[in-house]
Amino acid sequence: MMVGTDDGTSEMTPSNGPAETDGGVVAARNVGRTYYMGEPVHALSDLSLTLENGSFTAVMGPSGSGKSTLMNLLGCLDTPDEGTIEIDGRSVGELSGKQRATLRGTKIGFVFQTFNLMPRLTAAENVTLPMVFNDVVEEGRRERAENLLGRVGLGDRLDHAPNELSGGQRQRVAIARALANEPTLILADEPTGNLDSDTGAEIMDLFEELHAEGRTIMMVTHERHIAEHAERIVHLLDGELERIEELDSVGREEGGSRGDGA
Amino acid sequence: MKVLESVRIGWRSITSHKLRSALTTLGVIIGIASVIVFMVLGGAFQEDILGDIDSENDPVMQVSVQQSGGGFGGQQPIERPTFTESDVEAVGAIDGVEYVAPFGPLDVSHVDHDGQRLRLVSGTTTVPELFHEGGVFPLVEGQTFAGEGEAVVNVRFQRHFEGNASVGEEVTMRLTDGRTETLTIAGVVEEEVSTQTRPAIYVPTDPYYTSTIETQDGTTERAYQSMLVRATSVQGLSDVREAVQTYMDTESDARQEVPEDHEIRVQTIQDLIDQLTGFLDQITIFIGGIAAISLVVGSIGIANIMIVSVTERTREIGIMKAVGAKNRDIIQLFLLESVILGAIGALFGVILGIGIGYLVVGYLGWPMVYPLNWIGIAVAVGILVGVISGLYPAWRAARVDPIEALRRE
Repeated sequence: MMVGTDDGTSEMTPSNGPAETDGGVVAARNVGRTYYMGEPVHALSDLSLTLENGSFTAVMGPSGSGKSTLMNLLGCLDTPDEGTIEIDGRSVGELSGKQRATLRGTKIGFVFQTFNLMPRLTAAENVTLPMVFNDVVEEGRRERAENLLGRVGLGDRLDHAPNELSGGQRQRVAIARALANEPTLILADEPTGNLDSDTGAEIMDLFEELHAEGRTIMMVTHERHIAEHAERIVHLLDGELERIEELDSVGREEGGSRGDGA
Repeated sequence: MKVLESVRIGWRSITSHKLRSALTTLGVIIGIASVIVFMVLGGAFQEDILGDIDSENDPVMQVSVQQSGGGFGGQQPIERPTFTESDVEAVGAIDGVEYVAPFGPLDVSHVDHDGQRLRLVSGTTTVPELFHEGGVFPLVEGQTFAGEGEAVVNVRFQRHFEGNASVGEEVTMRLTDGRTETLTIAGVVEEEVSTQTRPAIYVPTDPYYTSTIETQDGTTERAYQSMLVRATSVQGLSDVREAVQTYMDTESDARQEVPEDHEIRVQTIQDLIDQLTGFLDQITIFIGGIAAISLVVGSIGIANIMIVSVTERTREIGIMKAVGAKNRDIIQLFLLESVILGAIGALFGVILGIGIGYLVVGYLGWPMVYPLNWIGIAVAVGILVGVISGLYPAWRAARVDPIEALRRE
């Protein structure tokens, strides 16, 4: 059930972040990002956010509030114009494109709304892909992929192509893939957006399990009941941090809401 | 990312579009195949003509008038009477010369034998020594002509007539100037050392050759287009050649007759072979070059499909980048895919080219040659075509913005 660190694969995976100065594994400090489409669009401005080791954070906000931009920045797909993004104590802005790609591959696990599996690769090959690009030694890769797929409940679907899997199963493959390199941070972008509510609930259960294992998760969603699976909800509005809402475990379990300013 | 890994993923995407990949490589296949076919044909033709000439042991040389300088391909001797009877005698008197065989053209209209008529026959007057044993023109049957009323023909001539025109039989030769001669076939000669493939008949200079020119000192003499000089030994060949060339350039009547931009050349068999080989090589490369144009078309085809493929797979590129693919990995992936396409094209092109070449050469009765260096070049070119046509698409793939790519539906 557990993705163990005692399964012989721990040496090839990056260790979780070192103790960093202000206690966060991933931190955004006064981050700003401006796009120029004719005129400047401030997608994010002066945003500071720390994701503690083992935390589960949901990000909510209307379209255009900067959710995606925040994800891209924390996922090392983009670099901020102002401020810094730190992952495990390394400032992303100072890295070369190649170093960022490496960081992305080893520290970040993405889960997308549209699953984004490689259509011509089997489930196991999809899970192996991050290991391939990050030059994990070939021995043990397949075994690790099998373990991860077993972990998400797809141990019997190893060699199925994505088009032979249901939406929920595809998202499970994507989650297994996100875990492939033992990332510091799992970034999920509307992970239940393309799923029916039952399947979506199963996926959220899986995220909760991952959280219980001590993984750090940030999830973007626009659905309140999905966001309530997290420990706290970060509300964005017009590219700025509106408020951070802490959810207590009771509230989460009951699915209730409790507004609380940051 | 390991190269082998890229090959595997690249191969996967090639085989997932089998028809498309096959059609894409077709351009390269056709290009490489046509180059190989022409190289096989060129090589086989050369082998067929030159294969069994023993150039080492024939101390002969041809004296003819050719255009000065290199020029494209081989030089054809000009066709006009140039070398006078006095020149023939003077060369014959040079130390180490065994005999001189002047060649005079005969305009033959047709030859009749046994109720059959042969047109398109090349007629030549020369001396009987030409057909002596151990010479350049070895007889396969009979003997050389002894004088008036006798002729030597080549195998092609002989075979033209049903039931063959054998030694001892009579033929009637009609010349364009109206003369009609009845000749007895004395001997049959193999092919000549040239591209001459027509039926040929050889008769004695006396009395059949009549072309004359007026020399500088006012006398009228018989004159020949070219002549063949045989030295007494292989060792003496180069000295004799030197002497003949010197005579031609300083004393001969012929030197007065050489037109502007032309010169008298004395060439040994080896010179002629080299000249012919060079000429054939140039033709082969020229035709092969034209065939290679289809390679360019093929490479454009690969580039085109690769660009389409990059566009189609933009999202996949985004996914790969999201899971840690570096730009280098993406370039490697797409470049290898087009290299695989090019290499497959080259492989099948070589097989197809050799196959077609083999069939055609077999049909023509030429010896098969395997142009190994060209096969090597073809494979290298195929891979190069893959690299070149993959560069731009791969660069485009690497430039895909993962944020944009992943947003695509």
